[in-house]
Amino acid sequence: MSETALLQNYLLVGSILFALGLTGFLIRRNLIVMFLCAEMMLQGVSLSLIAWGRYHNDWSGQMLVIFIITVAACEAGIALALVLALCRKSGSLDIVNWQNVREEGRMPYIDQEVPAEAMESEAWPTLTPAGIEPATDQQELYRSNV
Amino acid sequence: MSDNLIILIPFFPLLAAILIAILGPKLLKENSHYVTVLAFAASFVCSLMLFFSVQGQVVEEGTSFESVTTLWTWAAVDNAMIDADGHSVPFLIDVTLRSDALTSIMLCMVTFIATLVAIFGAGYMHGDRGYWRFFAYVSLFVFSMTMLVSVSNFLLLFVFWEAVGLCSYLLIGFWYHKPEASAAGKKAFLVNRVGDFGFALAIFLIWINYGTLNFHDYVVDGQVIIPGVFGQMRLGGALPYVQGGMATAICLLLMLGACGKSAQFPLHVWLPDAMEGPTPVSALIHAATMVTAGVYMVTRCTPLFHASPDAQVTVACIGGFTALLAGLIALTQHDLKRVLAYSTVSQLGYMFLALGTGSLAGIVAGMFHLFTHAFFKALLFLGSGSVMHAMGNVIDMRRFGGLRHLMPWTFRTFLVGCLALAGIFPFAGFWSKDAILASVHDRAYPGAHSHDSQDSEHDADHDADQDADDHATHSVALLSADHAGSNQADSYTNIYVWLYRSACFTAFLTAFYTFRAFFLTFYGPQVIPDESGHHAHESPPMMWIPLAILAIFAFLIGFVSELDHKFAHLLTSTPSLAFAGMHDTMQPGGFHMDIAISSSIIAVLGIALAAFLYLGHQREVEAISKLKLVAPLRALSLNKFYLDEIYTWAVVKPLEFLGIIYFWLDRWLVDGLVNLIGKVPVALGSGFRYLQTGLLPFYSLSMVVAMLILLFLGQVLWGGG
Repeated sequence: MSETALLQNYLLVGSILFALGLTGFLIRRNLIVMFLCAEMMLQGVSLSLIAWGRYHNDWSGQMLVIFIITVAACEAGIALALVLALCRKSGSLDIVNWQNVREEGRMPYIDQEVPAEAMESEAWPTLTPAGIEPATDQQELYRSNV
Repeated sequence: MSDNLIILIPFFPLLAAILIAILGPKLLKENSHYVTVLAFAASFVCSLMLFFSVQGQVVEEGTSFESVTTLWTWAAVDNAMIDADGHSVPFLIDVTLRSDALTSIMLCMVTFIATLVAIFGAGYMHGDRGYWRFFAYVSLFVFSMTMLVSVSNFLLLFVFWEAVGLCSYLLIGFWYHKPEASAAGKKAFLVNRVGDFGFALAIFLIWINYGTLNFHDYVVDGQVIIPGVFGQMRLGGALPYVQGGMATAICLLLMLGACGKSAQFPLHVWLPDAMEGPTPVSALIHAATMVTAGVYMVTRCTPLFHASPDAQVTVACIGGFTALLAGLIALTQHDLKRVLAYSTVSQLGYMFLALGTGSLAGIVAGMFHLFTHAFFKALLFLGSGSVMHAMGNVIDMRRFGGLRHLMPWTFRTFLVGCLALAGIFPFAGFWSKDAILASVHDRAYPGAHSHDSQDSEHDADHDADQDADDHATHSVALLSADHAGSNQADSYTNIYVWLYRSACFTAFLTAFYTFRAFFLTFYGPQVIPDESGHHAHESPPMMWIPLAILAIFAFLIGFVSELDHKFAHLLTSTPSLAFAGMHDTMQPGGFHMDIAISSSIIAVLGIALAAFLYLGHQREVEAISKLKLVAPLRALSLNKFYLDEIYTWAVVKPLEFLGIIYFWLDRWLVDGLVNLIGKVPVALGSGFRYLQTGLLPFYSLSMVVAMLILLFLGQVLWGGG
């Protein structure tokens, strides 16, 4: 495969990733999903950087990508901590719950009635303590940690 | 030795002030007065030693004696001004203390009275919340006052002039939680500003005309570098004093300063209100010492005033008029301290009247009256403080009376003070008031003096009014022969004749209002206000012993000083008074039997009238005050000739109105412009503000849309470069 064709393929995949991420970011309201979409946009850009780097036979594209990954890791740590805090506060991951940071006097955006989510099993996986017999407390076992 | 003494005298009170200010609130508290009294006493001892040392040196060195101690150079500017001859004049201000007769007399008087007042104050202020604060202020005041009389420089004189003003303000407003007291403090401060403005202008004019502000000659290696304003070179006639209109301007501006500080018309209105301060302060600052600073200053500037007969006659007129005005107001006041305050204003007027005669005799008489007045007026004020202390801070004479059995010591000492103020032989006031009347009389009837000394059979009871015209014409003829050069001054003789008559009438008023207050307070049925509780009693010894000491001095000091004309001889050795031009004027020391007798008769008449009206039932007073003719006059006097009201409407209200206009201009024009600039971003932002919806998807969508628009525009405009 010629270098140009390879570049085209990579750029195509990168732009698909970016477009998907952008679309997801725009239309989803779940905090974690929005965060994942943003990451996906980042990866799309990273991919195209690498493709260009290879095409020009230049390492700076790769170098930049490593840099992006490092920063994205830090950002992910902070963002997930924030998401966790926001979620604890409002009891839900919906971004619309935070529209009270709007300008004073502005009417809030009100959804159409959303169908209630089907109740999932609330059994969340937990790590088993090593070495000892876990004292299985039914209450503790089924308590939501989110 | 006198070098060290003159430094130590202000040093002790300053040390006391600093010590009390630092240690007072935590450590000294109720013991603060020990520091103050000890410091004042030490200062007094130093002052006495200085006094005797000066006296000794005057005898040794002859007429004009001064000793100057330079501490350090405060300001030195080369080439500060080019004078009329094209020489550059340096501006040199040394912190310099001088000891001469005038200074040593003032220092003795100030420190002696301050010591007694501090002892009295320790009793009077006992239990006050601001006990230590009081003594810190008083110490600071005594430091400033001792510096004021001993500095040898107009600029430093002004500095300490302001410093005593500051202490006065602090002490008038000592009970600052009382609205009247803080208002009185402000009034005193503001009225004094008017005077100080004049004083400052006078200092500028002196600098321009004389090229120095020092009193003394600035000498390096026996060579006079800068001749001082009252230095030996000028006084000896080697350099001239400025004459004519400029001299008059300087003197009138100086007099404006003196009017402010010494409460002369039209700036006298602050002194009666200053009585809101603690009574020891009224005695020390507003009767004995600070208010005499103006008299001291005019005396110190005698050579300047000598150059301007116009200014001298103005001083005399202001003094004579103030004496009369304040005497009239004092007739009807109900507040014991206010009667004394107006009497102080009146007596200060007397002093200025004497200074305004321009003769050596007059100036010595003015200073002599300052000296004796300090003792008996401090005595009277402390006496009123003692009464106030016993009466639970009530000072309205209608609410108490007949206290002579209750407060025997206060009664006796107050009587001595009243006799001295009224000018009864041989109390202190008699001698000094007589000296003043004699000097004014000599000025008004210039021929009479020589007649008196030659012709001892001069009719003692002659009617001044009848002979006035004879004497006046007679004297003009005599003088035009004697002093051809001083004709202009003699055109004022007629004014002095009237001033003499008004002074005699004021003497009558003084005796009357003094004894009116005395009879109302100590005679009649015993009345005690409820505020005093059931323990109205004589003040403790700590308070009446200073009274007794002052009473002894009020009795003796005039007689002792007049013996052999000691006071006059010492005072005339002051450089400012011992210069050639001054010696041509009338010499002090002429004791006029006729004036003495007539003024004594006047005083006795005043006392007799007061006794007739205010002893026993006051039927006559009621009857007289109801007369159609008297009632409006009485209202006029009671309301202080409506001067406060006139000032309110003529000065305070227009200024307040101006202030309101400025306030609105500032609020709406100046602030409005600034606020307008501040409002622009707010207005711009108010449109965009509504984009803040709080919806994250909205933000991200707008970002994407905007980015697309930019990309599109980029493509279109720059061809996708």
